[in-house]
Amino acid sequence: MQLNSGNGACLRQTLATLSLGLLSATLGEKTDRAYAQAQSQPDSPSGNSGQLIPTSKELDSSILFYQEANGRVRAIEPALQYTAHGPDSQTFNLGVIADSVTGATPNGAVPSDHTQTFVTPLKAPGGSSTTVTSASGGSTVIHLPPTPGQIAAAALGRQYTTPPGQLPVDRGFHDQRYGVNVGYSQPLGEISLVGFGGSYSIEHDYQSISASANIAQNFNLNNTTASLAVNYENDSSFPYGGVPTPLTVMTPQLKSVSSRGRSRIDIVAGLTEAMTTNWLVQLNYSYGISDGYQNDPYLIVSVVDPVTGEPNVYLYENRPTSRRLQSIYLDSKVDFGPSVTDVSFRYFMDSWGIKSTTVQVSDRVRLMGSLYVEPEIRWYQQSAANFFHNFLVTGQPLPQYASADSRLGQFVGLTYGMKLGFDLTRSTEIYLRGEFYRQTGNGHPADAIGQLKQQNLFAGVDAAYGMIGFSWNFD
Amino acid sequence: MTKSKIGRLLSAGSHPAVATAATGGPAADYQWFFRAMATPCEVRLECADPAIAGAAARAAEAEARRIEAKFSRYLATSVIGRINANSGNETEVDSETAHLLDFASRLFALSDGLFDITSGVLRKIWRFDGSDRVPSPDRVQELLPLVGWQNVSWKPPILKLPAGTEIDLGGLGKEYAVDRALHRIGEITAQPALVNFGGDLRVSGPRANGCSWKVAIESVDRAGQAEGLLEISEGALATSGDARRFLLKDGIRYGHILDPRTGWPVVDPPRSVTVAAQTCVEAGMIATLAILQGRNAEAFLKQEQVRAWCIR
Repeated sequence: MQLNSGNGACLRQTLATLSLGLLSATLGEKTDRAYAQAQSQPDSPSGNSGQLIPTSKELDSSILFYQEANGRVRAIEPALQYTAHGPDSQTFNLGVIADSVTGATPNGAVPSDHTQTFVTPLKAPGGSSTTVTSASGGSTVIHLPPTPGQIAAAALGRQYTTPPGQLPVDRGFHDQRYGVNVGYSQPLGEISLVGFGGSYSIEHDYQSISASANIAQNFNLNNTTASLAVNYENDSSFPYGGVPTPLTVMTPQLKSVSSRGRSRIDIVAGLTEAMTTNWLVQLNYSYGISDGYQNDPYLIVSVVDPVTGEPNVYLYENRPTSRRLQSIYLDSKVDFGPSVTDVSFRYFMDSWGIKSTTVQVSDRVRLMGSLYVEPEIRWYQQSAANFFHNFLVTGQPLPQYASADSRLGQFVGLTYGMKLGFDLTRSTEIYLRGEFYRQTGNGHPADAIGQLKQQNLFAGVDAAYGMIGFSWNFD
Repeated sequence: MTKSKIGRLLSAGSHPAVATAATGGPAADYQWFFRAMATPCEVRLECADPAIAGAAARAAEAEARRIEAKFSRYLATSVIGRINANSGNETEVDSETAHLLDFASRLFALSDGLFDITSGVLRKIWRFDGSDRVPSPDRVQELLPLVGWQNVSWKPPILKLPAGTEIDLGGLGKEYAVDRALHRIGEITAQPALVNFGGDLRVSGPRANGCSWKVAIESVDRAGQAEGLLEISEGALATSGDARRFLLKDGIRYGHILDPRTGWPVVDPPRSVTVAAQTCVEAGMIATLAILQGRNAEAFLKQEQVRAWCIR
């Protein structure tokens, strides 16, 4: 058997030339749309479409430092997240997180041109006075006048003061939280992905437990993914000193109710579409129902004199026990080759009257082979809840609900951030992230009375945070 | 993911004012699996961004499906289906098909008629299912007049097959799809990639760490068992021959490689030939031509100075 090739590797060279010729000739041409679309016909002989799976396991560890301006809240949050991928698109993840939050947090009261004194229950676990030394975080332990029917050991309170013209803050704020989360997902029969998850976190005065389920279906040759997720969360609040009765006067006495609960269900429907080979668009709609105790048990509202604006008394806040939340999220990610640009928009509204809009733009640019930067800017605007009051006025009818929590008020938040990532090796990356966050709001509302006209009533924050993380991919 | 406490500190609108753990680790090794052209297909990408990896893999898959839809002889709607249905008459073909037919025509000439895209009709009588159903010589003779590219009139872009003759680009399509799919990936990302359609594969270059890709090659005796690992850091690999497709009669193993000139299986070919070359089309054609040499396959590969692995 012989070939028309003559001697030594001649046929091979001819074949190489022919093959390259074939490929370059056909690649120069547009592909036939008819056949490019024929692939999506359901009766195509090979209906199995692809699935993207990372083959590696990943361990991600990070620590986050958060600091608010004017010596307010400071937080440290270490986290560890492990993700493993099985051969058939199974994904398992397990994460642990801890955080330690200390510092001063606004208590809801308005500033005054006099020194203000606040007395609250002791943060002594179990009501024992032996764990309390004397002063803690700028507050003092005081002996309360005996109350009929109350045992003597409980007759201790914690008192702190706010100088004239300053925003009242409670410096005794201290929290430690530990959380764990676990999740698993895999394809199931005709369904592209089915997953379940759960999480648990505990603090001194708060506990949260949640369970979630989600399904996702790819179609249109994996160019489209529809997903549905349900999350159920049950929270318990067991504040120091017990649960205060809403809209009653702030007192240091222990409350008879020790805990209150809240449950919340969220449903998120999502659609992800690969518009072109380098443009991804995602649309999410979420609906949440939250029922139960929604108050912050430590927050108060000042009731001021109708003429002078001086606080007469402080009432514990009250929020509706029911809340319905909706949001729409639209995200577009375009790969321009050297950079990946992400633009997202979110609109949120709830039954409390809060409407918020978020616009976020980030751009990931690879500078050198192993270094990338990702500058980011985020604009957030929210309207106030319809029961938000900077203060209440003596003599006016008491509203059913009232809160002076600045997070329920109207404000604009602006975030500038930068992330920097560096591949140490092919399988390890170190990343740094820094953000500055600034809230602005109206500190001089038109309805300010008397001395309040001279005070800045806006209690929003300026904050900065930094994060350093290390991730490791391994087989 | 457990929510960040700090997010809760900043706003009440359930808004993640502070993003939690950052995403996007180092270049991950992504694998994308699908079935096309009656074979398992795999795309591997070393890319840190799943969105880009996904887009590139989808483009590769779309290319494989496009080529299957266009050139599969099993689909009446394909170009090949239309040409075959129209045998005896002239068919005008598009440019891509014309290039492929030109290529096949050149190969027919180069191989002295061993590589012949009209030989597929012989499969009507040769069913390589491991049985002993060897067709009678009469049956082979009956079909043989339908085989032979020399009887085809090919004046680009007009193709006229003799009535009853059929063409089949199956010996070329998969390799062609590999090269095209890799090119599609290259249009999206320069990250290292590997395209493997049923054992015919090509890489964009070495992996990100400079190492070669490791590819398991299948055992010829036990289907699905990995025979060993091949390493490839550039170019393409293609394999011809299939251990699972043969007839066994009177102690003679009839391989599935048919000599289009006789209508009978090639005598004593290697059970498989794997060839390394610059492109997958080139590797595939050398492997096919080698196996068509039968017992002279190794000598042919040696003469052509090709990097190749034969299994007998």
